Parts: sequence; structure tokens; C-alpha cells
Amino acid sequence: MINTKLIFKILGALLNIEAAFMALCLIVSLFARENDLVPLAITVGVTVAVALLFRLLGRGASNTLSRRDAYLLVTVVWIAFAAFGSLPFLLGGYINNVSDAFFETMSGLTTTGATTIDQVEGMPHGVLLWRSLTQWIGGLGIVFFTIAILPSFVGGSIKVFAAEATGPVQSKLQPRLTMSAKALWGLYLVLTVGCALCFFLFGMGAFDAVNYAMTITATGGFATHDASTGYFNNPAIDYTAIIFMFFSGVSFAMLYAALFKGRVKHLLKNAEFRFYSALTLVATVIIVAFLLRYNDYSFSDAVRVSLFQVVSFLTTTGMFNEDAAQWHHITWVVLSLCMFFGGCAGSTAGGFKCARGVIALKILRNEILHRLHPKAVLPVKVNGSTVHSSGQITLMAFLMVYFVLCFIAYFIMILVGVDSTNSFTIALSCASNVGPTLGLEIGPTMSWSILPGFVKWILSALMLMGRLEIFTVLVIFTPAFWKNN
Amino acid sequence: MKVIIVGADAIGAHLAELFSKIKQNIVIIDEDEAKLEHIASYCDLLTIKSSSNTPIKSFRDAGVKNADLFISVKRDENLNLSLCVLAKSMGAKQTVARVENPEFTEPQITDAFNRAGISSIIYPDDLAAQDIVSCLQLSWVSQRWDVYDGALTMLGIKMKEPCEVLSRPLKEICNSETPYHVIAIKRGTDTIIPTGNDMLLPNDYVYFMTTKEFIPEMKKIVGKEDYPDVKNVIIVGGGKTAVRVVNRMPKEVKVKIFEANTARCEELNEVIDRDGVMVINADGRSVANLLEENIRQADALVALTGNAEANILTCMTAHELGVRKTVAMIENMDYMSIAGNAEIGTIINKQALTASYIYQLLLKGDVRNIRNLLMVNADVAEFKAREGSRITSKRVCDLNLSRQIELGGLVRDGVGMLVNGNTQIQPGDNVVVFCQDTNISQIEKIFN
Repeated sequence: MINTKLIFKILGALLNIEAAFMALCLIVSLFARENDLVPLAITVGVTVAVALLFRLLGRGASNTLSRRDAYLLVTVVWIAFAAFGSLPFLLGGYINNVSDAFFETMSGLTTTGATTIDQVEGMPHGVLLWRSLTQWIGGLGIVFFTIAILPSFVGGSIKVFAAEATGPVQSKLQPRLTMSAKALWGLYLVLTVGCALCFFLFGMGAFDAVNYAMTITATGGFATHDASTGYFNNPAIDYTAIIFMFFSGVSFAMLYAALFKGRVKHLLKNAEFRFYSALTLVATVIIVAFLLRYNDYSFSDAVRVSLFQVVSFLTTTGMFNEDAAQWHHITWVVLSLCMFFGGCAGSTAGGFKCARGVIALKILRNEILHRLHPKAVLPVKVNGSTVHSSGQITLMAFLMVYFVLCFIAYFIMILVGVDSTNSFTIALSCASNVGPTLGLEIGPTMSWSILPGFVKWILSALMLMGRLEIFTVLVIFTPAFWKNN
Repeated sequence: MKVIIVGADAIGAHLAELFSKIKQNIVIIDEDEAKLEHIASYCDLLTIKSSSNTPIKSFRDAGVKNADLFISVKRDENLNLSLCVLAKSMGAKQTVARVENPEFTEPQITDAFNRAGISSIIYPDDLAAQDIVSCLQLSWVSQRWDVYDGALTMLGIKMKEPCEVLSRPLKEICNSETPYHVIAIKRGTDTIIPTGNDMLLPNDYVYFMTTKEFIPEMKKIVGKEDYPDVKNVIIVGGGKTAVRVVNRMPKEVKVKIFEANTARCEELNEVIDRDGVMVINADGRSVANLLEENIRQADALVALTGNAEANILTCMTAHELGVRKTVAMIENMDYMSIAGNAEIGTIINKQALTASYIYQLLLKGDVRNIRNLLMVNADVAEFKAREGSRITSKRVCDLNLSRQIELGGLVRDGVGMLVNGNTQIQPGDNVVVFCQDTNISQIEKIFN
């Protein structure tokens, strides 16, 4: 049955890592001399204590992690991280109820970036850094977890599970598992540091630069200003953000090969990357056209804000430099479509993933061709390798579950009285880990604090499922999971 | 010259027959005694029965030590490769291995094979595919043979009304200015090497020699202007040859492959790596299936199933349905003449192609290229005229060449030109010779 001891053991080790990150914020707080010193210190203490308790409980665990254990572990780790991560907000009184605090942290760890804090700017630096750090940890968390942490605790038999949990449709398409954790984190660090340096050069303060860089490379979207990057009103910063968001949405394995091994051609020929780029381009052109037609924008501004918004939604970052609520409604449809597709598989982005998008569209094309040529055997080929019918069914099942979950969330929000556009985009935003919503009641630039408490719990669950590719979490709720067979 | 052939299947048997006709010293080795007996019944050669655990003994018996050419054409490509390496190390001068894998024909790989002792690699499916693709490009031609990279071309064409050159003596329609040269005529079962008094008649199968720039004009002369360029091809039978054909086909040509076996359909999708190909899981022999996939819109149908009868009938059906160009692959030599008389555009025989290719290796280095013309049971070959050879001594009409030899054209400094009686062949010219019932080695003498 479930290897509880091992789960405790691993959980204990991981909570220690979380505590280490919290300690980093504590140091910042020490220098800033603000009122978050005590809450952070208590949090670190509690987390370390619980971590030690867990390690104690997990003593002498056998090192065999079954498939079930792995599914359970991933979900439990995420929930535990969110629970302990919400302590600083609660203890410091920056968020005054548990639902909001948990939602905020879960939104961070899943790199969603939806916030319940109405006024970010007044908050102390230590807590702000912690808020950004949750996203940075969450960005590559699942990858790091499956390829670096788990193998160190158990044998190498975890690959099967990792292939499912990390999002790729077919492990063959995604060479990412063969990449070492070191290379992956190296690239992540290079992107973050590069982004921070660029921001710093273009006139951002050091603290802001680091925060924005972390949330952008994690495609999270938490900002240290209420107006997000719009606060700076600086095209150089906007374009830096666009470039780094775009690259964070590309498969890290391919990006690594292109940047450090010079295999740029390989990247440019990749079907997923092409789809991702084409989507960016088409969506931008449409929005630019609408902005020029219905809003008073100069051409350069229209290009800048629409590109920013498209890349932000497509990579599921959710930063904004302009209030998209003021735009024509059709632009919302385009942005919703971007939210749905998300970035490339194997990146920090969420969503349905462009790889799945490419395959789903090919399946659709084949179905139509099949009407004309009933006896044709039509392959679904992506980058030269065939996606077999079992893989196609899994993908369609994923698509269906994705929509069913969105629909349930939509339904519940309609019940509690949120307006229709908002309900729809909130559901999509959570399932794809984007962050902002589009609509009349809650605009993309506003916080979600007015939503009722229990809706936030539901949305937290939706975000977690979205981040962990749905099935990983869903399987735990099936009776078969708990049966002894 | 001593030739050892391993494998008495279709290709091996055909080779044995070909070589024994030109009085070579042939040894054929196989495990199947029945096959050996069958070959020995109509060819003059030595047969050796081997068993898989005594290959060395059978090699020694065959005299591999002083063999000039060792050919391994068994079905197992790995066995062929290793047997060639073995034969080379035991003293065979030249070795040829048959393979089934496109990777093995890559230049670097063949170099590596050379170093290991395998002189040549033959890939029958690919040879057939080259031929099929080249004749689909000229849909109005039954057979096409390019000499010297296309400077000269020999075209085999089935004559049909209306056509301006039919039923008139050749001396009326041809002069030294005409852009073509009629080399041979196949009428019924006879092969005619024409003189000025002969005429071309409807249903004749005529071999023309022409140069590259006159190919469009030839299309007009033989009255085949209404033949379309091939853009849509239907292939029936998704075997290895079909895969090679598809991979060699120009990118703009759309292909549909009919394959009855579902598992093979999936495999085809795996191995075919290009757009514009659709695999249809249906029996291509059924008219209903062909109609469902719009056969009337297809420009060409290529029948490549393993069954010669089915291929012939499918092509005839397609012709009835209005497909202008049909290609049938035929494994059985006995059907060649029937197929030739039926309404089939081009007939492809893998064994014959392979045999021609190997035949070329057997001849001295001066023969660049040779092709066995199955329809007329004759060979065309390209010879290089040597300094002081008989062929360069006089004008062609004064040479008193045998009636069975016809000079088609020559390539001088890379430029193709036709040969007539007044032509003086110069040393260094590459001359195309058509010869019927003649030992190639006799022709070699004229050129040396």
C-alpha cells in the first residue's frame, strides 16, 4: 500500500528546502528592518520543526516509491508548501483570512499569479520577496522534484511517472528528462539573472528587478507594484519582459540546446516552437488591428502593448502594462485562446501546451480528411515521430478533462453570482495558471479578493491540477487509487 | 571469367541465365536442391548445394580463391554482407552484396563497405524505384534510359494513331537533320533493326535515340501531346519498392498508396517521411476502392504488389478507367511478352534491373553503362572508343558492322549527338550500341 514513511521522509527534506528559501527572505527583512521580521522568523521556525518531525516519522523508510506513492507525494508536497508558505502572510496580518492566504501562496507556487492583495505596494520587502520566490520555486518545481529530488531518495525507476507528471505528451518528443537537473537549473538561473540585469540596466531598482525577473522567468506574474510593469511605463522594460517571457515559454531542453550547443536550427524547425511563434504573431496582429481601430493608440504603442499582453497570456505569465479591460471584446477572445494554449511543453508555462495543441489540430485535420477518404490511414506526426492512437486518446482525454474542470469552475462561479465573462476567464486562468481575468466585474489589473472564500479553495484546487497536468491529482480521488491491488 | 553466385532465388537465377548465355564460368550455390536442379536444367553451370553450417566448404568447392566476381543475392542482407567479406578474404577479386536497407547505399557507408571487402552494394528496390520515377516523369514513354547523365536518351515508345511518322518508310521521314534515330522496332514477337525501307506501324514498340533538348519535340512527333505531366500517382501495394518510389518522387507529386494490410499501413506512415502521401487501407485490386479514391483524377497508377498477375490486371483496369500512365512490377519473366502486349505503360522487373547492374560490373571498365531490354531481348551499352580501335578507323557506313549491331548515338565532350552513316567516331567518344543476340565481349573488341 502507500509507503507513508517514505512520503514523510521526502516531505521533511523538501520542507527544509522551503525553510531555507524563507530564511533568505528573513535576511532581507533583517536588512530592511521592517515589521515582517517576526512573522518570517516564526514561519522558518515552525517549518523547520515540522520538517524535523516528518523526518523523524520517516525514519527507516524503505526506498521503494510506487507509482501511487509518487502521485500522492507530488500533490501532498504542493499542498504542504502552500500551507507553510502562507504563514508569513497570515502571521504578519498582510492577509487576514486563511482562504486568501492559502490561495495567494498556491497561486504563487503554481505560477498562476492571481492575487488577493489589493495593495501590494505597502508590503514589507521580506514578504514581497517571499511572494515572488514562491513563483520562482514553483516554476521549475515539478521538474526539479521529479528529476533531481526523487532519484536521490529512490531508484531510477521514476522516469515513467516523470514523463506523465511534467507535461509532455510523449517522452520521445521531450528530451527533457535526459537533461540533467543541473543544466536545467543553470538555464533557469541564467534566464533569471539575465532578466534582472536587463531590468536593472533599464532603470529598475535592484529589489524590483530581482522580483520581476523571478516571476517572469517562472511565468508567474506576481508584481511588486499594483500596476505591474505598467508602473514603470518604460518601453525598454516592456520589451525586456516580452523577450524573457517568450523564452521562458519555450521548452527548456530545446532552449538549452539552442543557447549552449548552438542548435538554433533544431529549435526553429521544431513544430511546437513554430506553432508557439505563429500563435504569438497572429494574436498580436489581430489585437494591434483592433487597438488601432477602436482605441486611441499610436502604432508603436499598440504593437508594444498587444505583444506584451499576448506573450504574457500565452506564456501564462499574466503580467500587464495596460488595462486590457478597456479593449475591444474580441481581443479578449484572442487572449482567452492564448490562455488556453499556453507555452511549450517542458517550459515553466502552464496551459494546454503548444505540443498538445499541434497534435490536437492534426488529429482534427485527420478526422476531417477521414470523411473524404474513409479508408485512409492517417498518421499524426510531430517532428518526425508518430503519435500513436493510445497517445492521441490520452491527449483527447486530457483536453476533455481540462474543459470539464473549467466548466465546473465556471458553473460554480455563476452560482455565486460572478458575471459570465469573468467566470469563464477565471476558470481558464486558473486551469492554465495564467493569473489575470478578463471581464467587467474583476478586470485583469484587479485583485480577486472580492471572490467568496470557498470559491478560492476550489480555484486553488484547480490551479494545482492545472500545474500538475490534471491526471496526477485527479487519480488520487479515484477509488481505484486506494484499493489494494 | 569465373563468377560465383550465392542464392538461387529469382535474382540469382536470372543472373545465372544471363551470364551463362555469354559463356562465363558460373558456379551457383544454394541450400535448396530443387532450385539448383531447376536452374541446371536450362543453364550451363556448376551447382553446389551448401548448408548453412558449411559455407566455407562450399566456397572452397566453388573455387572462391580464383573467382573474378562473387555475388551474394540471398534474401538476408546481413548474410550477404558477411559472405562477401568472407569471400574477399578468401581471394575473390570483386564482391557484390544485395541489401534491403537504404542506409547501406549512402556514400560514406559504401566506402566503409569497400574497405571491409565488399566492392559493390546493390539495392534492387531502389534500382526499381529510380526507374519508376524516371519513367513517371515522361509519362508518354514506356522505357527510358539516360546515357552519360542524360546527354543522350533512349526512349521506348508504343506507337498509336494519330501520329505523323506512322506508315511511311523511314527514308522518307528521316534525314541527317531529324532529331532522332530509330534503333529498333518490336513488332509482335519480332525485333527489327530498321533500314530505310522499313515503316513504323501502329502498335509497334519503337526504340528511339535522341538528345536531351529534343525530348519535348519527340512528344509531338510520336503524337503523344495529350499526355499530362504526372501530378497525382496511385501506388497499389505498399512494399519496400513503394517506399523507395515515394521517397524518390519529386516533392510536388501527390501519392496515394493502397495497402490491404492494416499493420503495414501503420508501418508505412512511420517510414515515409514526406508530405503529400496518403496511405489507404484497402485492396487496390478492387475497382470500387479505386473509384472511391478518385482514380479518374489520377495521372498514373503504379502496381507494386508481389503478385505479377494482380499487377497486370490492376494496370489494365486502371487503363480502362482512364488512367493514362500505368506501371506494373513483374517478378515473373514468363509474363514479360504478355504484359508487353497488354495496355500497360511500363513494365518493371527488379531481377532484370539488378542483373543488368551486376552485368555491367562483369564487363571491362570501358563499358560505363549497360541495360538489358527485356521487351526485345537485346542489350544497349555505352562503350568508350579507344585510340587505334577498329571503330575509329573509318566512317560508320564503311565499317561493315554486323546487322545485329546498331550504333545509336555518341557523347563527345559531354555533348550528345546522333550517329548516322557519315559519322566518323573519334577516340574518346562514348558510343551507345544496341546489340541483339550478340556477346558483348565481341563488341568490346571493336572498341579496343
